[in-house]
Amino acid sequence: MVQLTRDDLKKVQPKIKAGQQYVKVGMSTCGIAAGAQEVFELFTKEIKQHDLNVVVTKTGCLGMCHAEPLVEVSVEGLPSVIYGRVNGEVAHRIIEEHVCGKRLVNDHIFDLPIRR
Amino acid sequence: MEKPIIFIKDTSLTGDSSREIQTQLLKVAREKGIEDLQVIRVADLGIYDKGVALKICSLDIIYVNVKLSDAEKIIQTTIKEGTPIEDLLLENQAMQTRIVLRNCGIVDPESIDDYISRSGYASVGKCLFDMTPETVIEEMKKSGLRGRGGAGFPTWMKWNLARGSFGDEKYVICNADEGDPGAYMDRSVLEGDPHSVIEGMIIAGYAIGASKGFAYIRAEYPLAIERVQKAIDQAYEKGLLGKDILGSKFSFDLEIRLGAGAFVCGEETALIASIEGKRGTPKPRPPYPSDRGLWDKPTIINNVETLANIAVIFQKGAEWFATIGTDKSKGTKVFAVTGKVKNSGLVEIAMGTPLRDIVFQISGGCFVPENKMIAVQTGGPSGGVIPEKNFDTPVSYEHLIELGSIMGSGGMIVMDEDDCLVDISKFYLKFCVDESCGKCAPCRIGGYQMLAILEKITAGKGTLEDITSIKRIAQGMQKASLCALGQTAPNPVMSTLRYFESEYLDHIEKKKCRAGKCTKLLKFTIVPEKCKKCRLCVTNCPVNAISGDREKGYTIDQEKCIKCGRCFDVCKFEAIARA
Amino acid sequence: MCSTSTTTSPEISTLVEKWRGKKGSLIMVLHELQNHYGYVPRDVSLQLSQQLDIPLARIYEVITFYNYFKLDPPGKYTIAICLGTACYLKGAPDLVDEVKNLLDIGEGQTSKDGLFHLDVVRCLGCCGLAPVLSVNGQIYGKVKRSEVMGILSKYKKED
Repeated sequence: MVQLTRDDLKKVQPKIKAGQQYVKVGMSTCGIAAGAQEVFELFTKEIKQHDLNVVVTKTGCLGMCHAEPLVEVSVEGLPSVIYGRVNGEVAHRIIEEHVCGKRLVNDHIFDLPIRR
Repeated sequence: MEKPIIFIKDTSLTGDSSREIQTQLLKVAREKGIEDLQVIRVADLGIYDKGVALKICSLDIIYVNVKLSDAEKIIQTTIKEGTPIEDLLLENQAMQTRIVLRNCGIVDPESIDDYISRSGYASVGKCLFDMTPETVIEEMKKSGLRGRGGAGFPTWMKWNLARGSFGDEKYVICNADEGDPGAYMDRSVLEGDPHSVIEGMIIAGYAIGASKGFAYIRAEYPLAIERVQKAIDQAYEKGLLGKDILGSKFSFDLEIRLGAGAFVCGEETALIASIEGKRGTPKPRPPYPSDRGLWDKPTIINNVETLANIAVIFQKGAEWFATIGTDKSKGTKVFAVTGKVKNSGLVEIAMGTPLRDIVFQISGGCFVPENKMIAVQTGGPSGGVIPEKNFDTPVSYEHLIELGSIMGSGGMIVMDEDDCLVDISKFYLKFCVDESCGKCAPCRIGGYQMLAILEKITAGKGTLEDITSIKRIAQGMQKASLCALGQTAPNPVMSTLRYFESEYLDHIEKKKCRAGKCTKLLKFTIVPEKCKKCRLCVTNCPVNAISGDREKGYTIDQEKCIKCGRCFDVCKFEAIARA
Repeated sequence: MCSTSTTTSPEISTLVEKWRGKKGSLIMVLHELQNHYGYVPRDVSLQLSQQLDIPLARIYEVITFYNYFKLDPPGKYTIAICLGTACYLKGAPDLVDEVKNLLDIGEGQTSKDGLFHLDVVRCLGCCGLAPVLSVNGQIYGKVKRSEVMGILSKYKKED
C-alpha cells in the first residue's frame, strides 16, 4: 500500500499520455454483448503484427448503445473519431486505412455533438 | 496541422445523394489544388431529416440541406478561405452535456491512475483539507443538487439531517439496485467510471460524519460488481479509502453488498433491511433513515448518479453547477432512451431541455421512420406516459410531475403507433404486482385486482364500470400503501387513462386494439384470393387449427386458434388477415 | 433428497469463517453458495443454519423472498429472456413463446432432459440490443423469433 497525499494526486499520469496514439474499445456489458471482446483482441493482435505504436485499451460506455461495438481511434495528424458497428472486417479496415494509411474509414463514423 | 476533413451524411429519409456530393467535393478540391482533403461518409452526425449534412471538422461548423451545386462554393469559401456560408449553417443543434458521464468512454474504468489524472479524488482532498463538514453541506446546498433516484429530494438536506442526528456510527449507502426495466444509467456509470461514485461516497461520509459505506449493487450486474470491487481495492491500495485518507484524520471504509433480484429493495427502508441480511420489506417512515437507518444508526442513501455528480461540484464549484439546468432542477440528467427510437442509448442533457429535443434531435426520432411517435414513458413502473402533444415540455422534476409522470431514475421509453398503451400499462402493473413484497394490503390486493381488470379489458370483456373501479383502486393504493412501490404502481395506468382514455374505450366498447397488440382481440383469417395453398401456415400452426385441402382452400378454426400469430408471420403472400 | 447430514463440508466452513462476525452477511453467504452449487441445496442451508446459528426458517424466508436464489438445481443451460420494457416492446414475449413451444417448458422450469432452464428476467441492461436473451450468460441481441431454434440447437449439439 502507498499512502498518497493531496500533492501526489497532481503527479499521477494517465495510462495514455498526451500525444500517444490509441484505440479505445467501449467494453461495458452491452458492448461486450455486441462483440467488443473479439474486437478488442483483434485490434491487439493486428497492432502487434504491424508493429504499430498504438495503445489498445478498454473504456466504459460511450453512450451510443445502438451502434455497439464502439471504438475510438486517435492517431497523429487526424482528429480522434468514434467508429460504430465495428466487426472484424471494419476493425481490419480501421487498421489498414485509418491507422496505417491516415485515411478515415467511410460509413462507420458516429459523430455526435457532446459538451463536456 | 490537421488535414482538412469533411464528414458527409444524407440525413433525409428518401434516397442517399451523399456519394454524389462526396465525389463532387473531391473533384472541385482537386481542381483548386487541394490534394489532401478527405471527404468521409459517416454513419451519424446527430442531425436528422435535414437533407445532406456536412461537418467541416477543422472549423467545427455544420452545413445542412447541401445541394450538389453548393460544392464549388463550399470548397472555395470555406475550405480555401475559411469563411462559413451563412445560408447553409445549421441553427442551434440540441446538445448533450456530460457531467455524470464525464469520464465514461474516456478513462479505463479499471485504472485508478486514469481517473486521478482527470482531477479524480482532488475533490476529496479539497473537502478533507480546506473545508469543514458544515461548509461541504453548505456548498451542496448552493449547488441545488437533488436526488437522481427519482423523487428529487435535495441532497444537501438529506446530508444535513443525518449530520444532525446523534449516533456513534453513521452510514453512507450507494443505491445501485437499478431495477426499473429499461433503465441502465447506473450500470453504465459503475462500469465506466466507478471511482466517481466512490469519491462521492467519501465526501458524503465526511459531510455526515460516517466512517463506513456500503455499495448495494444488483446481483444481475456482474461486470459492474467486478469493476467496483476492483476500484475499491485500488482506492485502498493508494490510501484513498481506509484509515487517514490522503494523510488526513478522516477514515472511511467501503464494501459491496449484493441485491438478489427484488425490485422493492430500491426503496430505502427495504434496501436497508436487505443489507441487514433480511427480507427486503419496507418499514413505515418516520423514522427516516437519516434518523434511524442501517442497524438503527443515522444513514444516508444516495443513488449512483447523484454520487457521481458530487466530485464535479467541488471541483468546478457550486456556482458553476447551479448555472446548468432550470430554476429548481439543477445540473443534468442521464436518460436511457430505448424502445421505438432510432438511436437507443444513454443521453445526458441539461435539465430544462425539451423532450422533443431528446427524442427527435438527439435520439433521431422513430426507429421505423414512417411511424408516428405517440408517447414517451418516464419513471418506469412508478412513472407515466407523456403524449406527443406535450413534447415541448422542458425536462425537470416539476414539469414532469405536472404532466402526471415523474423524472424517475432515467428510463425513457419511446412508443410509436404500433404500441398499445393499455397493453403497456398492463405490463408495468404486472411488474409491480410481481414485485410487491406483500407486506401491506393496498399494494398486494389492489395491484392484483387492478391487473385482473386490465386483463379483462384486453381480452375484450371489459365494461365501462371497470374504468371507475380502476380509478377507485388507484386512489386506495396511492393513499394507503406503505412505500413508494405501491403508492406509485397505479401511475402508468392513471396517466394512460388521462391521455389515452379513448384507447381504453376502444378496447371496451369496440373490442378493438388499434396496435394489434392485444392478441385476444384479434381474429386471423385466410384471404382466399391471396392464398397460394403452400400449406406453410398449416404445418406451422401449433394447435392444428388450420384445415382444408388444395382444392377447397384452407380455413382457420376460430375455436381452436390461440392467436399466436405464427401463420401471419410465416405467410409469404400476405394471405393471412389480422383484424 | 432431503438429507439431514450434520457433517459440514469444507467449503461451507471456509465461507462461514470469511463472513463470521460481519453484520448482515446472510445474503452475501447465500450468493457465494449459489455461485458454488448453482442453487442453494437444502442440506447446505441446514448446515449453514447450524454454523451461523440462524434458524432454518430465517434462511428460507430470505431465499424465497429474493428471485435470484434458487432452491432447485438449474438445467445445464439457463436461458434468460429479458422482459424489460425495451425488449417487451420489441417482441420479447414472442421469444418466450417460442422457447416454451420448442422445449415444452414453462417459465422457471427445466426441460425433461435437464438441458435447458427457462427464466424470464428483468432488464439485462442491454436495451440497445433489444430484444435480448442470454444462454448461460452469453448474450444474444436483436434476436428474431426465427433465430431461437438455431441458438438452442447450437447448445444441443455441444452436449
